[in-house]
Amino acid sequence: MLILSSQDISAIGLSLKVACSATLISTPFGIACGYFLAFGKSRGKAVVEGVISLPLVLPPVVVGYLLLLSFGANGMIGRFLNFFGIQVVFSLTGAVIASAVVGFPLMVRSIRIGMEAVDQSYISVSRTLGAGWWDSFFTIILPLSARAIFAGMSLMFARNLGEFGATVILAGNIPGVTQTIPLAIYEYTSVPGGDRMALILCLVSISLSFAILLVSEGINRKFRRR
Amino acid sequence: MKKIYKINIFVVFVLLVFSVYAQAGQVRVSVAKSMSNLCDNLIVRFQAQYPDVKIVPNWGASGALAKQIEQGAPADIYVSANPKWMTHLIEKGKIKADTKKIFAHNTLVFVGRSSTDAQSVGDLPRLTRVALGSPGSVPAGQYAKQAMDKEGVYDDMLKNGQLVMAKDVRQALIYADRGETDGAFVYKTDAMLAISAKILFEVPLGSYSRVTYPVAMTKQSDGNADARLFYDYIVSEAAHSEMIRLGFTLPE
Amino acid sequence: MQLDVELKKSFKDFTLDVAFSLSSPRTGVFGPSGSGKSTIMNLMSGLELPDSGYIRLGDTVLFDAKRKINVKPDQRNVGVVFQHAHLFPHMSVKRNLFYGYKRVKPENRLIDPEGLFKVLGVTQLLSRDVATLSGGERQRIALARTVLSNPRLILMDEPLSALDEGHKFQIIPYLKKVFNRYGIPMIFISHSVLEMRMMTDEVLVVKQGCIHQHSETEELVRKSWGSGLEGYVNLLNLGGASPDKDLFRYQWGGINFILTEPAEGEENLFELDSRDILLFKRHPEATSARNLLQCTVVDIYGSGNRVRVELACGDEHLIAQIVPESVRELGIEKGAMVVAAIKASAFKKIF
Repeated sequence: MLILSSQDISAIGLSLKVACSATLISTPFGIACGYFLAFGKSRGKAVVEGVISLPLVLPPVVVGYLLLLSFGANGMIGRFLNFFGIQVVFSLTGAVIASAVVGFPLMVRSIRIGMEAVDQSYISVSRTLGAGWWDSFFTIILPLSARAIFAGMSLMFARNLGEFGATVILAGNIPGVTQTIPLAIYEYTSVPGGDRMALILCLVSISLSFAILLVSEGINRKFRRR
Repeated sequence: MKKIYKINIFVVFVLLVFSVYAQAGQVRVSVAKSMSNLCDNLIVRFQAQYPDVKIVPNWGASGALAKQIEQGAPADIYVSANPKWMTHLIEKGKIKADTKKIFAHNTLVFVGRSSTDAQSVGDLPRLTRVALGSPGSVPAGQYAKQAMDKEGVYDDMLKNGQLVMAKDVRQALIYADRGETDGAFVYKTDAMLAISAKILFEVPLGSYSRVTYPVAMTKQSDGNADARLFYDYIVSEAAHSEMIRLGFTLPE
Repeated sequence: MQLDVELKKSFKDFTLDVAFSLSSPRTGVFGPSGSGKSTIMNLMSGLELPDSGYIRLGDTVLFDAKRKINVKPDQRNVGVVFQHAHLFPHMSVKRNLFYGYKRVKPENRLIDPEGLFKVLGVTQLLSRDVATLSGGERQRIALARTVLSNPRLILMDEPLSALDEGHKFQIIPYLKKVFNRYGIPMIFISHSVLEMRMMTDEVLVVKQGCIHQHSETEELVRKSWGSGLEGYVNLLNLGGASPDKDLFRYQWGGINFILTEPAEGEENLFELDSRDILLFKRHPEATSARNLLQCTVVDIYGSGNRVRVELACGDEHLIAQIVPESVRELGIEKGAMVVAAIKASAFKKIF
């Protein structure tokens, strides 16, 4: 039977919710960091680049643990947020943060490369035509790196759909709240006889990734036609 | 000439690597996580008598361990926290059925920090979050689910996202101990290991099947005299004092 | 408009140190590559910051190091046409053209776009895609775009250098029309003497970061004997061509010339090397040259073994280049009458 239980369906829904939220929330920051790394001239650039790239080279579980230390009940950020009644650990917020942190370097990399490819002459020209900083940022830099920004977002989204290590540590395995597809599959693999469900969820996961690839390609082609 | 030399070195290396696995005098035991401390202590005592025997323990949720053995993971002795998984493996032909014995019993309790206000299973829906072993693979979680179903609270709490699934009973304990959940279902033997969490109440004995730990030797253990040696040790009275000390109940 | 400038900027292996005042609406900055021309342009447009100095345009101070004034490039109203048009690739031709226009306050928009497009001949290009334009078309669009942004001054940084040899001068009439009609002061930067002569009245000669000379363009060219300027080249604006047997007749002021090259427009620019003009004391009896002009010597100046003789032919002036020996032999002096002989094939069309 290819029927998914309500818990499985909620896992699929959660995966999409978390991936969408994490990607959308990260995008403005990704653009800002990409811009800074592409055009910035300060010495702190190398440090910023290092910090941003960290989640890329660390095992996700390590990232999750470090996030747990910071956002947990005893962590610096955790205590600050508790003031406002915001709980990060074991919540959807935590799952989104874990995904956002893990996927951020992928997005920034793509955006940075796209922005570096923008010919500086266009910016100079726009200045002589009366466009100030914000003006040329929105009319020249953003449109010309739109393709890279979108590619970064797709990459991050796809990575988020598969995020496990950091999520399970920071957000825990809570059905209906933080149990995304990878967590659900992991649970099934520990259950004798759970292989069938695990496989079905795997199929769902593959289909989702495929769908995103197709959509991403389609939009990419639209950019090229312009 | 050089090429043959390199191939020789490679073959020797491969043989060495694999010989580690083929070493005789090695006993592999897959034991329910809740028994990890007990097992460690028993191994120490056993090796005081038989220093040449190497025992390699593997802890995990009983269900997860059963799956591993089913899929061919090396194990000579299996101890489960739930008879269900032992029966499952016997059916799959992985266990020497004549070696199955009841090893110990345990009881289920609910632990949490003193700030948590819960005196019975019925009080749990009031709390924000409760940790339990994932019922699909962790016996402690299965027993907990039984108790919660008896009170009719499991389904609602699941739907409301109040249940945090742990990969084994010790992880559930840590969640409660660290305060990340308001409490957790663990065995009485685990509660004794907690640092900040205390037993808030004992789960009523009638509301879940008796916690029974069966032990058996796997078909893989055939020919492994040392495995037999260790098996005989742990089911003998020599192990009883340690079991009682850690809070387990002896088999009848 | 008066432009007063003093600029100093040090780079790793090069220092720029210039000071000049310009009042002509059509000035040039001339020099070889690496002499600092583009740096001057960047500093004046505000794209780069000088180490010290000042820039005063009319009664506005654009930069003053001492008083810590620095107007940002987007506020200076100094337009730039670059070597490569740099049309925004993600915008249509129309959006490109109106980019600067949109950023000018409506009450300051003094130039009518339609009219400008007609002058530059780009009206039919409005619906085209930026990527399909030729080099010359791109530069015309770039100029229109800059003019529409209502600049007080336009800097043209080697605008023809990237265009292909065969067609590059075709754009000159358009440029001239625009500056004539809209009266915007212009500084033309180039390493080509010919371009200087066509576009400017005054020129600054820059070498290794310093101003070498500041004079009228024609003066400079006539009195220069250095590299590239060994032989003076006459630039003649000839009228339309009318066929004359298998040759072509042109009008030059009141004079008729016979040329071998045909031309299409009503106004055509030809170059005639001064070394191709032969001088005779008297009208030669029979000669193969199709063009014989009666001229009066107006001026003579020489350098080494070369002499340039400035001749007046009717209202027009020509310069012929000969050797001192010939000057002596023919007794050429100011006021003398000579006959200039020019072959029909000596004229080369520029555009």
